[in-house]
Amino acid sequence: MAAALLALENVSKVYTRGWPKRRVTFRIEADLAFDQPAIIGMMGPNGAGKTTLFELMTGSNQPSDGRVLCLGRDIHRVRYDERDRLAIHYHQSYQVRRFRRRVPSFLLERAGSDYPMVHLFDEPQFNTQDGYIGFMLDFFRRLRAEGRLVFVCLHPTARYHIDLLREICDRYLFVADGRVAAAPSFATLTQNDRCRAYLGELAD
Amino acid sequence: MNATALFEARGLHMRFGDRVVLENVSLAFPEGQLSGIMGPNGAGKTTCFNVLTGRYRPTRGQVLFRGQDITGLSPHRIARLGVSRSFQLLNLFNDFTAEENVLVALPGLRDHGMNMARDVMADRSLRDRAAAVLDRVGLGAKGGIPARQLPYGDRRALEIGVALAADPAVLFLDEPTSGLGADAIGRLAELVRRLKGEVTIVAIEHDMEFLFGLADTIAVIHWGQVIRHGTPDALRADPWVRNSNLGRLK
Repeated sequence: MAAALLALENVSKVYTRGWPKRRVTFRIEADLAFDQPAIIGMMGPNGAGKTTLFELMTGSNQPSDGRVLCLGRDIHRVRYDERDRLAIHYHQSYQVRRFRRRVPSFLLERAGSDYPMVHLFDEPQFNTQDGYIGFMLDFFRRLRAEGRLVFVCLHPTARYHIDLLREICDRYLFVADGRVAAAPSFATLTQNDRCRAYLGELAD
Repeated sequence: MNATALFEARGLHMRFGDRVVLENVSLAFPEGQLSGIMGPNGAGKTTCFNVLTGRYRPTRGQVLFRGQDITGLSPHRIARLGVSRSFQLLNLFNDFTAEENVLVALPGLRDHGMNMARDVMADRSLRDRAAAVLDRVGLGAKGGIPARQLPYGDRRALEIGVALAADPAVLFLDEPTSGLGADAIGRLAELVRRLKGEVTIVAIEHDMEFLFGLADTIAVIHWGQVIRHGTPDALRADPWVRNSNLGRLK
């Protein structure tokens, strides 16, 4: 069987403070696999760890435990300058990648791929006035049709945000309280009490 | 795309450090057409332009002009092949007159060597060519005015004149409407419409309305990629465009 497009195997990231007694200030855990091309909607309150999760997926933030496999390769073992041939993270309009270089690049593996198969869009600016939304949605669909995995992370603040997520997303992830909940549809997503509280009146 | 591409980009990738600025951009600009490139701020339009015109060498990918691989050639080599460009921020000799700005851009000038200023002003044929270029961009009566004294819209036209002086096969315009008011944009659109057909034009533009009125095809760039490509009519038919400010314009 071909390797999954993306798999997070018991991945966790923990931030601590204090010495000698350490206190956990932030924690996120995820155990997820994505075998098929899809558009995945991701939501969650501020500070829940959505961007951290994206950074773990693109290899720019080392997990405290577990592995991130992209096309079967541990992305944290791939050369820094080739990680964008596996997964790329777009923050709003520009691309963010700041790699902490622990190991010289030549000791790491090659990407084994020319083009990224995982595209993570972190809070893309959907502005109804500028006319670009439809082009952006078409682009997400085209990436999926090309066999890629697309994540669209959005903090819904208006009805049309929900409408456009429902229009394009195959599935959803809800990130809160250090956990990632998967939902196969918007209807199941809104059965989650925590998510209903987060969405407020937009859940209905 | 049926028409043969005069200028083409294949699979361009551009990285600045850890940042991906262009990701697998392929574009084709057919001869005699006006091709538009539009996209929101920070989408990678100007970087794309700089790669096409030789200012940056792409990390991966090819740039082809008349089927010839020109990737990595210096900007002046590319310019000599017949590719001219204008800049988002004006690039003019402000103390020179409009005519002198065009004169120094004429290819024949290289033959004049050291005493070029005196020789050039005495060379009737060069001055006639400069006058023809100024006429072409609507500045025929303003040749004697120093560039800094021209209104902004005229300076933009002059910059296009400077780019046309080399009689290029392809003219690249980088955000030609930037900094212009509505009237000046209208006059610029007239100028570009006149030039269309005489020379293959590629225009990067933030102003969708301007491009929709002039371009044969438009590539929409966002996140350093071509997210959509089509005719203005096809793009305008998008429901989100129809419901935006742009859709309400007409």
